Formats: sequence, C-alpha cells, structure tokens
Amino acid sequence: MIWQQLANGISVGSVYALISLGLTMVYGILRILHVAHAGIYTLGAYVGLLSFRLVDNFWLSLFAGMVGAAVAGYLVERFLYTPILHLSRIAPLIASIGLFTAMEEAFRIVAGPHTLVYNARVGLGDLAIGSFRLTETQVLILLVSFLILLFLWLFLTRSRMGLAMRACALDLETASSFGVNVSAIIAMNFIIGSLMAGAAGVLIGVYDNQVWPTMGSIPAYKALAIVVLGGLGSIPGTVLASIIVGLSETFFIGVLSIPFPRDAVAFIAMILVLMFRPYGLLGKA
Amino acid sequence: MSGYVVTILITIAIYAILAHSLNIITGHAGQISLGHAAFFGIGAYTAALFYTKAGLSFWIDVPLAALVAGVVGAVLGIPCLRVRDDFLAITTMGIGFVVEAVFLYIPFFGGAMGIGGIDLPMWAGREMTKSEYLILILVVLGTLYALDYILGRSWIGLAWSSIREDEQAASALGVDIVRFKVMAFILGSALAGLAGAFYAHFLTFIMPYNFGFGQSIMILCMVVFGGIGTRWGPIVGALLLGLLPEISRPIMEYRTLLYGLLLVAMMRFQPSGLLGADSFLVVYFTKGLNRIRGGEVKA
Amino acid sequence: MRKQGLLSLVLAAVAFTMFFVGAPVAAQDTVKIGFFAPITGPAAADGMSAKNAVELGWKEVNDGGGIQGKKVDLIVYDDRLKAEEAVAIASRLMERDKVVGVVSGSYSGPTRVVAPIFQKAGMPMVAGYAVHPDVTWNPNTKTSNDFIFRNGFLGEVEGAAAAEFAVKDLKAKRMSIIFMDNDFGRSISAGFAERAIKLGAEILSKQMYKFPGEKDFRPYLTTIKEGNPDVIFAAGYYNEAASIVRQAKELGIKSQILGEEGFDSPKFLEIAGDAAEGVIIATNLDRDDPRPVVQNFLKNYRSAYGHDADMVGASSYDAFMILVSAIKKAGTDPKAIRKALLETKDYDGLTGKISRFAQGEVVKPVQIQIVKDGQFRRRAIIDNPEIITPPMKK
Repeated sequence: MIWQQLANGISVGSVYALISLGLTMVYGILRILHVAHAGIYTLGAYVGLLSFRLVDNFWLSLFAGMVGAAVAGYLVERFLYTPILHLSRIAPLIASIGLFTAMEEAFRIVAGPHTLVYNARVGLGDLAIGSFRLTETQVLILLVSFLILLFLWLFLTRSRMGLAMRACALDLETASSFGVNVSAIIAMNFIIGSLMAGAAGVLIGVYDNQVWPTMGSIPAYKALAIVVLGGLGSIPGTVLASIIVGLSETFFIGVLSIPFPRDAVAFIAMILVLMFRPYGLLGKA
Repeated sequence: MSGYVVTILITIAIYAILAHSLNIITGHAGQISLGHAAFFGIGAYTAALFYTKAGLSFWIDVPLAALVAGVVGAVLGIPCLRVRDDFLAITTMGIGFVVEAVFLYIPFFGGAMGIGGIDLPMWAGREMTKSEYLILILVVLGTLYALDYILGRSWIGLAWSSIREDEQAASALGVDIVRFKVMAFILGSALAGLAGAFYAHFLTFIMPYNFGFGQSIMILCMVVFGGIGTRWGPIVGALLLGLLPEISRPIMEYRTLLYGLLLVAMMRFQPSGLLGADSFLVVYFTKGLNRIRGGEVKA
Repeated sequence: MRKQGLLSLVLAAVAFTMFFVGAPVAAQDTVKIGFFAPITGPAAADGMSAKNAVELGWKEVNDGGGIQGKKVDLIVYDDRLKAEEAVAIASRLMERDKVVGVVSGSYSGPTRVVAPIFQKAGMPMVAGYAVHPDVTWNPNTKTSNDFIFRNGFLGEVEGAAAAEFAVKDLKAKRMSIIFMDNDFGRSISAGFAERAIKLGAEILSKQMYKFPGEKDFRPYLTTIKEGNPDVIFAAGYYNEAASIVRQAKELGIKSQILGEEGFDSPKFLEIAGDAAEGVIIATNLDRDDPRPVVQNFLKNYRSAYGHDADMVGASSYDAFMILVSAIKKAGTDPKAIRKALLETKDYDGLTGKISRFAQGEVVKPVQIQIVKDGQFRRRAIIDNPEIITPPMKK
C-alpha cells in the first residue's frame, strides 16, 4: 500500500510541477504573481477538448491545447503586463486576478456551466506489478511531465536563447546592456510557461475526465504556494516543492488519516519553511 | 429609505471599514496582504461565539472581537516580518487558508454548519432597526476616519510612509521598522475584526466560506480600485464595488464577467485607482475646480 | 486632501443616481414569485439547472392559464453563492418586487441566511434542495421557522435511508464512509453511520475530503481498499462522485459503492462512464415513476434544454410547483399561503408523493436508484415511516 500511495503522490506532484513551472518562469523574469496563469491552464484544457472533438486524436489535441495556451499567454504578456510593468507590484497582481475572474466567466458563458468530459484514448497501457498499479493516465502524466522537464532543462542549459533567458532572470538591465533582446526573451518566456500550463490543462482534463469553467481556481493559489515554497523563480526548487507537496498531501490523507483539508497542507509547509528559509527551499535573496 | 437600500448601505459601510483596515497595512505601511479576510473572519467568529455561547451582549462582544483579531494579528504579524514583498503576499494568503480551515474543521467553531442566531443589537430595550444599525456603523466609520486623519499627521504616519517608500533608508534613519510594521498589522487586524463583528450581527449567520480567499481578494480590489494609500480611496472603492453587483443585476449572467474586466481595465489604464495621483478623475476635477476658482477671481 | 474628499462625494452621488435609476416598475396585475440561485460564480452549474427547471414550471403554469386567471411573474436573481447578496435579494424581492412567495434554488449558505429574514417578515419560502437543518428552525428561540418549507430531504433522513437499504437489502456488514467537508456531506454521512450502527453494521473508516476542489481520491481509496468493506458510502456532488467511482475502479476496488442525491445528474453518468455501472444511490427523483408529472417533466426538460434533468432541477421545480399550488388554493395573502402549505396533504410531486410537512420538513419516500446501461433505474423505495419522518428538532 505504501508503494501505491507513493505512486499517487508522485503523479499529483508532477501535475503540480507542470502548472507551477510556468508561473515560476514568469516570476523569475518579470517578478509578477501571474494568477491568470490558471486561466491559461483552463483555456488549454478547453482548446484541447474542442480539438479532440474535431479530430479525435489525443496527441493532436494536446498539441492544440498547448498552442492555444501559448497564444493566449503571449497576448496577456504583450497587452496587459508589459504596459504596466513599471508600476508597483500590486497593479499587475490585481490586473491578473481580474483577468482570471473574467476568463472563468467567459469559459462559463461560451462553453456552458456544466462539466464537459474529455474521454480520450491515449494508446498507452496500464502498468501493474503485483498489487501496485499505475493507470494509463498516470503513466501518461509521468511520461509527459518528464519529457517536458527534460526539454526545458536542455533548452535552458544548452541553447543560446536559454542562456539569454537565464541572464534576464538574474538581471534584466545588465542582460539588456549586453545586447540581449529583452522583449523577445520576455515573450518567449511567457510562451514556454503557457505551453506548459496548456499541457497541464489537457493532461488534467483527461486524467479526471472533466473540464469545467472553474477548474483553475484551486491551481491558481496552490501553484503560488508551491512556487514560493520552492523559492520564487527557482526552477529546480519548483520541481522539488511540487513533489514534496504532492507526496505530503497524499501521506497526510492516506497514511496518517489526519482530517485536515488538503490545501492547508501546502500552505502550512510553505509557512514553516519560510520561517527558516525566507526565500524558500532553493531560492536566493 | 427602503429596507433594500439600507441593507446595501450596511454591507457597503462594513466593507468600507474593512477596506480602510487593509489600507492601513497595505496602503500606509506598504505590506501587501492577500489574507485579510482571515481577520474579518476572526472578528466575526469571536463576536458570534461570545454572543451565542457566552451570552455576552453586542456592546461587549464587538470590542472583544476587535481585541482578539488584533492579538492574533500581532502573533501572525511577527512571522510575517521574516518575509518580504511577494513572499509576504503569499504567506498572508496561506494564513488566510489556514484560518478558514480551522473554522471549518474544528467543531468548536461550528464547522461547516456555521453559527446562527447572532441577532442585531439591542437598543433602548428593543432590537435595533436596520436603519439604526446603519447609523451606528456610519458613526464608527466616521470615528475611524477622524482617527486616521490624526494618525496620518503623527509620527506613526510618517514612519509608515517612510517604510513604504524605502525600507532600508527608513531603517538607516533610525525608524524602528519591526515596531511600526507590527503596529500596522495590529491596528489593521483589529479594525478588520471590528468589521467582522458588525458583519456577523448583520447576517445573523456565518459560515467559514464567507471568509475565504475570494473575500480577501475583494477587499484588496476595493482598496486598489479606490486608490491605494489615499484616505478616501477605500470608501470609494467599497461603495463602487459594493454597488456594482446591484446595479448590474439586469445583465445577470454577465455581471461577474464585467467585474473582472473592470479590474483589468482599471489596472491597465488607471493603476493608481480612482483617487490616486494621476487618475483622470483627479486631473479633470482639479482642472475644473481651478477654472471655477479662477472665474471667481476674475469676477 | 479636501479635493479628494469632494471628489469622493461627487463619485458617491453619481453611483447613487445610477442605483436609483433602476427604480421599481409600476405593479401589474400578476402574481409575483421570487427565485434566487447561484447563476454565476463557482456553483453556476447547479444554479442554471435550478433556474432552467423553474422556468419550465413557470411556463407550464402560465400556459395552463396562470393562477386564478392571473399570469405568474417569476423574478429571478443571481446570488453568486454570497450571503450578503442573498440578504440584499431578500429585501429587494419583498420591497421592490412585492412578491407573494419565494423559491430557493440555492445552496445552504444563502438559503440559511435569508430564512430568518423571510420568517420575520412573514413571507413564505420553499427551498428546493438546501440542506442546512436551521433553514426551517430558529436555534435561538428553539421554534420552527413556520413560513419556511423544504422540499429536499434532511441529510439525516437520506443517510439513514441509504443505511437501511445497505444493511437490509444488500446485507452489508462492513462499511467505509468518505464524505465532503460541507454541511451536506457531514449531515448525510452522520445519518448513514448512526442508522448503520443501530442495525448492527460496522464502520471501518470515515474520511472527509475538501470541497470544493478535491479531484484525487486515490489516497483515500487506497486506505479503504485495505479494509475491503462490503459497501463504500460516498457523499459528494456529481463531479467528485464521478472521480470517486472512476478511481475506485482503477484501483481494482470491488466493494459496492453507495451514493446519494449529489450523484443524481446525467453528468455523473457521462463523466464516470463504465465505472458508474452498478452504482446505487439514494435520491428523490424516480425516473421509472409512471406518473405523468414525472414523465412529462423529464420529456419537456429534455426537449427544452437538450440534456437530461438532474436532482437539483427536479427539486427546484417541485419547490416552485408546491408554492404555486398553495397560492392557487389560498390566494395571494402570505399568511393564507403559509396555512395552505402547512396543510399540504398527499401532494403529487415530481420528486415523490409528499404526505405532509413536519416542522417545515418534507415527508416523502426516499428513492433508491441503480445505474444500469448508463441510466438511473428504480432499485427500491424506502418508505419505512421510522426513517422518512424527519427527526423532530427541539
């Protein structure tokens, strides 16, 4: 049973990682708490579902969901955040919250208030060893998260653009003075972050077989807790924090049977860690 | 005035106290809080428990609610000093979730069933009417504004604005940052608790869900919408965002959408709020005033 | 600073002018009935189901000639699941719209907040499916809110009926319970546990999950699987319910899953797919009931909205129709309407034959339905008076 719980916890953790990574990347460069990221995640799920109904192929719909989310992310960056970047931090935060509310309502008005099903056949099989089992969708989530993380790591460490992006995260102005095209890097950063959010939306849609207008409201704040726990802007920290939160939630519920709401676990962990490490697990001052 | 108008005005007046209390923490001392509804809730629950379980009267449970919320604000404010900026924002949000979970999961607080039977206060041997209750809240609101005016001109007000503008510089000049930050937290939390007590006695029934993350966001939106750090901004924000859902009833299905879009548009084009320094309203209004005054001089 | 104060005054004046522009229209000669539900916001799906069903009933009433020759005017408001909006709606319905009765198509929170207001004002309200026990009860004075009536079951009643069925019909002895952390989940699982223990069954585990938002039930179910119970009693709404039965199937759990009215939606069947087969629920809507009121509603709802009706819609429709039939009997005086509601006897409702209201609580049989070939079908009816009579509050 302990192995089964471990598998449950890691699956949940990798989903958290996919949602939180985009958020931490955006924060790393722009220092914005991008709450509307959860709206982009929901948009990814809806676009994926729509294209799945049109073409009836899971992998194409995953691609469509990611592209749809990336386009939306780019638009948000260009027309909402960039013009107000120079202001105090609270303005982009409120704008982001307003946008998220508006997006949730727009999904409800366009697609209806009821849950839609995303009943996709993926083509992978279940994985069972003895009483331990991973379902097809769990295998899918672990596989896709792993591939995306691998891609991200290669991109950031091996490509010129990835290097420029890391430079921007360290210091935007210095990077700019060395001839980095900062506005292109910011756009790219949003696009990559949103691609991941879109992928997360599609994967969760299939995993739960549910897509609904307010599916982003829990990720909206839980991802923030995870990102802060890991150290705002730190990519390895975010992955680590996601897995820790996924596992500790699962163990709280499944092993210790402590009757406390799941979401509070992430926040208690976060507050405790911040008391000893005010910049999160792997964050820097 | 009809009971309907009074009902809405009471809600708005309570939110004005609440927005004002957040303005002390976020506007005056510059500390972003995304969990302010927790202190609103602590006040409401304190008043509700003292009223229904201990049998205390409204006039005693309301100050107690402010006191308890202030004490909890002090206790929770101290760890918040360890973290800054966005870390602080998310930490306060976390506090909000934990407080909501405590109300929901600990049976003493009524759990998911909430607490009912919290009546309007007694006055001259009978239960207050809604209009009288409104007047009471408005008197409290007015007193708070008078205090705010005095505070703003005192050493404390100056210290807060120095922390808001540049924490390191303030510290170098000898401002005791910790003390003044904790003071802002205590005062802001206590006033939120006061608003919570009024809210509980107005609704007569409270549940944990009334004090969740959405509520915290709404309070912050009121402050920012009106003009963060300005004196009248919180009232204007509470008034407009409080009336908006009622005014927009005819477009029922679209009104929450409208609310979200309005926040986006506001931050995109008027980020300092309606009463902020570079707001179009303030600019035109000043021009208009000057023109009138100018006209008088000529005549 | 003075400039700012002045500007604030101007803004306030403008806002109030806008506010008063929406002044009440001249009253026409209609019978006005108020209705509120969460039409936007997080509970919009249920709010829309309730609104759709009630509007269907409203059209039927008007097509059938209205009430005593007068057309019915249905006034619909959105409460966004917010208590303070519900309070404003209550005043608005009574003062501006001058309704003669109110139907709640909302959850416990808003309904519980407005109940004492309507009680005090002497305005009858029938709640569709809100479950909080104090909707019909004043905990301070320990008296019944005798203007407030509820068409849905109390959680205790439905939970006890499910336990009765599990022990007597399914012969289950070992049970596990998983429920959501709101008033509905708590009261229904408490009712289930109490009755099950009384009948000699053993409760292996009781787990509570976060609502809304929980989607991953694997850690709970993995624990339940260890105990291998005969029956898993699961309390939740259809999204959570569908996740529970899907994930139970994935984990290879063979125990019978027993649910409640929150499962009762075509969406449950759609999301859960094959995993829904064989799931049994306790609810109030019997789709195999041959009475025309049931079959016509199911048919008309489908043709009007393109999908099947659910429990929330059916219960709200019933609440509206109960109020209409009382107005038909008693006229438009609120006191007379209340009297007619109190005297309700053997009312032929969509969600069962209502024998009477006791302390405002409905007395009618609990329906046990099973999922067969992707449809809810009749499995049993619990009409043991010991169970379906709501416990008297005191």
